Amino acid sequence: MLSLFLVLFLVVVFRLYLILPSRKSKSDVVPTRSRNSQCHLAVFLGSGGHTSEALTLLSSIYFERYTPRTYIVSQGDTLSIERARAFEESKAKSKKNDEYRILEIPRARRVHQFLLTTPPTALRSAITCIYHVCLLPVITGRPFADILLVNGPGTCVILCAAAYASRLCFIPSPRLIYVESFARVDSLSLSGRILRPFVDRFLVQWPELLKDGGRGEYRGWLV
Amino acid sequence: MRAFVTVGATAEFDLLVESIISSNVLEALQKKGYDELVIQVGPSTRFGVLSEQREGISLDMWKLKPTLKDDFEKSDLIISHAGSGSILDALRLHKPLIVVPNPALLDNHQSELALALEKRRFLKSTTISGLAATIKAFDPQALLPFPKVDGAKFRSILDEEMGYEP
Repeated sequence: MLSLFLVLFLVVVFRLYLILPSRKSKSDVVPTRSRNSQCHLAVFLGSGGHTSEALTLLSSIYFERYTPRTYIVSQGDTLSIERARAFEESKAKSKKNDEYRILEIPRARRVHQFLLTTPPTALRSAITCIYHVCLLPVITGRPFADILLVNGPGTCVILCAAAYASRLCFIPSPRLIYVESFARVDSLSLSGRILRPFVDRFLVQWPELLKDGGRGEYRGWLV
Repeated sequence: MRAFVTVGATAEFDLLVESIISSNVLEALQKKGYDELVIQVGPSTRFGVLSEQREGISLDMWKLKPTLKDDFEKSDLIISHAGSGSILDALRLHKPLIVVPNPALLDNHQSELALALEKRRFLKSTTISGLAATIKAFDPQALLPFPKVDGAKFRSILDEEMGYEP
């Protein structure tokens, strides 16, 4: 029994190693798309400044290309829901690009939540993420999204983990872009540090953050 | 002229509100020609709705609004906590901005951003105790205009990542 688990564990680790973005050269992972093809964009709106930054990032993208769109918000974050709706109203002008949905998921950890009570809360959040990102695509045959944009806080790690679980199991999973918040000048956030080796693109907005020689790109201020 | 103070929506920052309505800060504002002061006090337990005259300034206080955009636009000076959302909103409207990082949120890295932007002369960063002196010495003309959002940057990163032909 134990050796079976060990073999299984090694297989998973080996598979994880194979799909790590740092192993792949760019040309063999990005398929070329024609200018007019569409893809499904998902974005996590992490409330407050995170939501503002995420919507600013999307403010100039080609809406005809990135349709439909999924806005993922933490349960009860009505402000982010309102802002996503207002954003859609201001941007989507034609029938061809106005398809979107809002998906609420339980928070991984509330602000100031006692650390010991975090695991059950995080578990609920994880189950919901796995359902939407891994299970539904298998049941319906439709991938969760083609691209997932995240910029923190905590819950976005769980979303990315669910996307990675899909990848491990050969389920079509979204490409992952992490954009570190404009507020992070000298040190990466916890979400950033966790996700750095795993996401397909890791962007920071202050060059000091890449001084350690680790993965990531600095392309100036994005928000 | 109107000064607007915001502490953000997520954390209380009564120390800032208290300091703003202290007589030496009000006096500094009044000397600079401000006759209106609007304060958004956020999730405060000590301050709430208030409207009165103090030291020749008409003072208005309230807790929260869905958006502060109107209030930002109508003011000639913004004094804000160091949250990145408030900082970006104020700078994008090209409003003179004084930022006071909340000492209770030290592990939140808020002062990093305030100091980095002060170094580039986009705003003035100060402390609770230094606020009156900062207002007295503050010269909006010495600040530089903040650059507009360049949405094309992220657009091309996204298109590149998804393999769209340029």
